[in-house]
Amino acid sequence: MAFTMRSVKVPPNSASLAEARSRVIDFFKKSCRSIPAIMEIYNLHDVVTVSQLRSTISSEIRKNAHLSNPKVIDMLLFKGMEELGNIVEHAKQRHHIIGQYVVGREGLMQDASPKDQEASEFLKQFYTSNYF
Amino acid sequence: MGFVLRALQRARPAIGGRVSTFRWITSTPDLHKPEGAAAAEPAAPEPEIPPRTPVGGARVQFSNPDDAIEVFVDGYPVKIPKGMTVLQACEVAGVDIPRFCYHSRLSIAGNCRMCLVEVEKSPKPVASCAMPALPGMKIKTNTPVAKKAREGVMEFLLMNHPLDCPICDQGGECDLQDQSMAFGSDRGRFTEMKRSVVDKNLGPLVKTVMTRCIQCTRCVRFASEIAGVQDLGMLGRGSGEEIGTYVEKLMTSELSGNVIDICPVGALTSKPFAFKARNWELKGTESIDVTDAVGSNIRIDSRGPEVMRILPRLNEDINEEWISDKTRFCYDGLKRQRLNDPMIRGPDGRFKSVSWRDALAVVAEVIHQVKPDEIVGVAGKLSDAESMMALKDFVNRMGSNSVLCEGNGPNPQADLRSSYLMNTSIAGLEKADVFLLVGTQPRVEAPMVNARIRKTVKANQAKVAYIGPPTDINYDHQHIGTGAETLVELVEGRHPFSSTLHSAKNPVIIVGAGIFERDDKDAVFSAVETIAKNAKVVRPDWNGLNVLLLNAAQAAALDLGLVSSPNDTIPSAKFLYLMGADDISLEKLPDDAFVVYQGHHGDKSVYRANVILPASAFSEKEGTYENTEGCTQWTVPAVPTVGDARDDWKIVRALSEVAGVRLPYDSLTAIRARIKTVAPNLLQVDERELATMSFELKPPVSQKISSDPFKPAIENFYMTDSITRASKIMAQCSASLLKK
Repeated sequence: MAFTMRSVKVPPNSASLAEARSRVIDFFKKSCRSIPAIMEIYNLHDVVTVSQLRSTISSEIRKNAHLSNPKVIDMLLFKGMEELGNIVEHAKQRHHIIGQYVVGREGLMQDASPKDQEASEFLKQFYTSNYF
Repeated sequence: MGFVLRALQRARPAIGGRVSTFRWITSTPDLHKPEGAAAAEPAAPEPEIPPRTPVGGARVQFSNPDDAIEVFVDGYPVKIPKGMTVLQACEVAGVDIPRFCYHSRLSIAGNCRMCLVEVEKSPKPVASCAMPALPGMKIKTNTPVAKKAREGVMEFLLMNHPLDCPICDQGGECDLQDQSMAFGSDRGRFTEMKRSVVDKNLGPLVKTVMTRCIQCTRCVRFASEIAGVQDLGMLGRGSGEEIGTYVEKLMTSELSGNVIDICPVGALTSKPFAFKARNWELKGTESIDVTDAVGSNIRIDSRGPEVMRILPRLNEDINEEWISDKTRFCYDGLKRQRLNDPMIRGPDGRFKSVSWRDALAVVAEVIHQVKPDEIVGVAGKLSDAESMMALKDFVNRMGSNSVLCEGNGPNPQADLRSSYLMNTSIAGLEKADVFLLVGTQPRVEAPMVNARIRKTVKANQAKVAYIGPPTDINYDHQHIGTGAETLVELVEGRHPFSSTLHSAKNPVIIVGAGIFERDDKDAVFSAVETIAKNAKVVRPDWNGLNVLLLNAAQAAALDLGLVSSPNDTIPSAKFLYLMGADDISLEKLPDDAFVVYQGHHGDKSVYRANVILPASAFSEKEGTYENTEGCTQWTVPAVPTVGDARDDWKIVRALSEVAGVRLPYDSLTAIRARIKTVAPNLLQVDERELATMSFELKPPVSQKISSDPFKPAIENFYMTDSITRASKIMAQCSASLLKK
C-alpha cells in the first residue's frame, strides 16, 4: 500500500473548478479505501469505527467547501495527499491520529454550543482555561 | 557564591588592572610567611578603600549616644554601639566575615575559628564572632595573616570532610563549598584516612550524614535555645567528637526542620527532599503559608509543575527566619488526592467526570429549586479573601444570608476587630513580661507565636500561666487550671496569679480560637475582658489582649462578615455550598440536601458531596490572606493548576452567571475593588492594620460560664487541613512523633 501511495505524483494544475472537484472526490475515495489499513496499523479498533473516521475526513474536506479558486483547491489537495501518505506510511504514531482525528472533535463541537452565544467573555474563557 | 563575588570585589583595588590573570584561590608565596611579608613592606601605602554598604542591610541603633564607640575596619572608621562583637562591627562596615558556627539568632560558640581576623596589637588572630569590639580597635580582615588563618582552618575542616559534593543535597548552597572556593587552599596535604561517623536517626524529616558534620554546633544550640528541646548534644572529645542524641531518640520538635537551614554543610538535610532536585534547577516563588493563622513567609521552590520544597523567608515581624515543620513539609500533600475534573455523583453513588459546562448547569438548576433561605455557603479554613467575598456576594444574591467560615463557631463576634485579632502583634510579644494563655496551646496552634513567647521567656524571664488541658509547653510556666472556674477566680482576684498579673508592666493575655466553638464563649470572653480591665492589660500605649486564631481564612472571613452560625443554618439547609470546608460537622445536614464541594483535595466533605468543582491550592493561585495579627499578605502562584481546576473566585463567578445572578467582577483587580468597599484593610498588603476600637464598647453579656474544662483545639499538629491530611510525610510524622 505504502509503495502505491508513494508513487502518486503531483498532477498538473486543474484547468477548471469541475476538474478540481472531481479530483477532490477521487482523493476522498482513496482515503476512504485506506481507512481499514489505517485502523490496522494504528490499532484503532477499540477507539473509533470506520464510519467515524470517514465522516471525520469528509468534515475536514467540507470545512473548505466555500473555496472556488482551483489553485487553492489544488494546494489543499496536495496537503491532504501528503497527510494521507504520511499516515499510511506509518510516519505518525497512534496518539497523533487519536489526537487529530478521534478525540477533541466533539470538544470543538461542544465549544460551538448555541447556549454560549449569550455567555459573557469571562464565562467563555472560564470554560477553556484557568489562565486568562 | 556570595563569598566568591565579594572576594573578587575585595581583590580588585589591590590588583589594579590585572583582574583577568589574578588567582585568588591559591597558596600564594607570601602566605607561607605572612609575618615576614607584612614586615617587609610596612611603608607600602594603604590602598584607598571606599566605604562599603553594610552586609545584608545591617543597621545599628544607638539607644544611648554615649555608648557609641568607634572602630576601624580595614582602615575605615565605623561607629557601633558598645557590646557589639568584632564580627558585627565588620558587618556594619560592609565586610562579610566567613563563618560557620556563628549565627545571629543563636548564642555564640566560637568553635569553628573560620572568622579569624587580625587586630592590631594582638599577638594572634582573634575569633571575631566571640571578641567584643573595643574603642579604637583596628581590625584588618584582608591581611596575609587573616588569609593564612582562614586557609589553615579550611584545611583542617576539609581534612575530615568527605569529598561527596556530587551526591550531597547541600551541593550548590553549601557554606563549606562556597568558602573553600573563596578562602581555601587549592591543594590538601592530607593523605591518611578520613574519619567516619555513624548516621543518627532524627525521624522522618531530617536526614543525617554525620561524616559531613564540621561540629559547628548550630543545630545543638538551635534545638536547646529556640526549639526548646534538649534532644541534640555533643558527644566525645577531639577527633571523636560527634553531634547526636545521647540515646536512640527522634527529634520531637515542631521546629526541627529549621536545623536543615542552619546547618552550614550537608550533615543535616531534608529527608523528603533527598536526591529529588538540585537547588539551581529550582524556581523560587515568594509566597505565604496557609497551614496556620500566622501566615509565615515562605519561598516555594518548584521545578516545572511540581513543588519541590518550601523554605522560610525572612520576616522579622512574623516568623523571623524559621518556619514550622508542618509548613515546610506539607508540600507533598499538594501532589496527592487532588481533584482534577468537575464531577457529578451518579444515581449509583459513583462520581463521573463531566465538563465544567455540565457541572455548573446542574448546580445552577438545583440552586433554583430550593428556597432562598435553605441555601448555605461555607468557606473553608484555607480560603482566600477574594473567594470568600465572591461566595458571600453569590449567596446573598441568591437571597440567602447564611455564609460562614468554618472554625469561627456559633454567632461569631465580628463587630470589633480587636475581639478576634492578636492586638499585641507577634513581634510585640517580645516586650511582654507576663503571659496568660487561656485555652490555647500555641505550640501546636501556632508554633511561630510559641517561638516568640519562648524567646521572651528566655530573654526577659517573663512569667507564663496556662489555663487549659494538660499539654507540653517548652518553657517555664505555671499550669493554673483546666477550665473556666480558674478564670472566675482570676476575675474575682482570688487566684494567686492575679497579683503577678496586676504588678506586670506589659501583661499579655492570649485566648485561643478553640474557645469560639464553646457555647459559653461570650461569657468566657467577657470574663477575660474583665481580667484585662482589672490588670490594665489594655492601655493607650499597650494592648495586651489577644486572640490567637487557628486558620488562615479566619481573620479575613470575619473582616468580610461571613458570620452566620452553623448550628442554626446547617440543619435546615437544602443546598450546601462547601468552598474547601472539610472540618465542618455535616451530621445534622438533612439527607436530601444537595452538597456542592469546591476544593482542591478529595478530603472529608467529598464523601457527602453531590457535585465536585476542582479548585486550585494556595501554591497555584494569587490570593489575599490575613494573619492572626491583622497583617494582610498575598500568595503568589508558583506552579500551574492541576488538571481542569480553576481558581476559587472564578468558579463562584462563573456559577453566578450560569445561575442568572451574574457577579459584577471579571478580574482580580475588580474583585479587590469590591473587597475595598467591605474591608479596605485587606488591600493594604504586608501592613498590619490595627484594631482601633476597644472591647469596652461591647454590650454586657448575660451568658453563664459553664464549668466544662477547655478542650484542645488541635488534636494532631501535623494534620489539620486538607493539604496536610493528604501528605504522606505528615502521616509519617504523626505516626512516629506523636507517639505517647
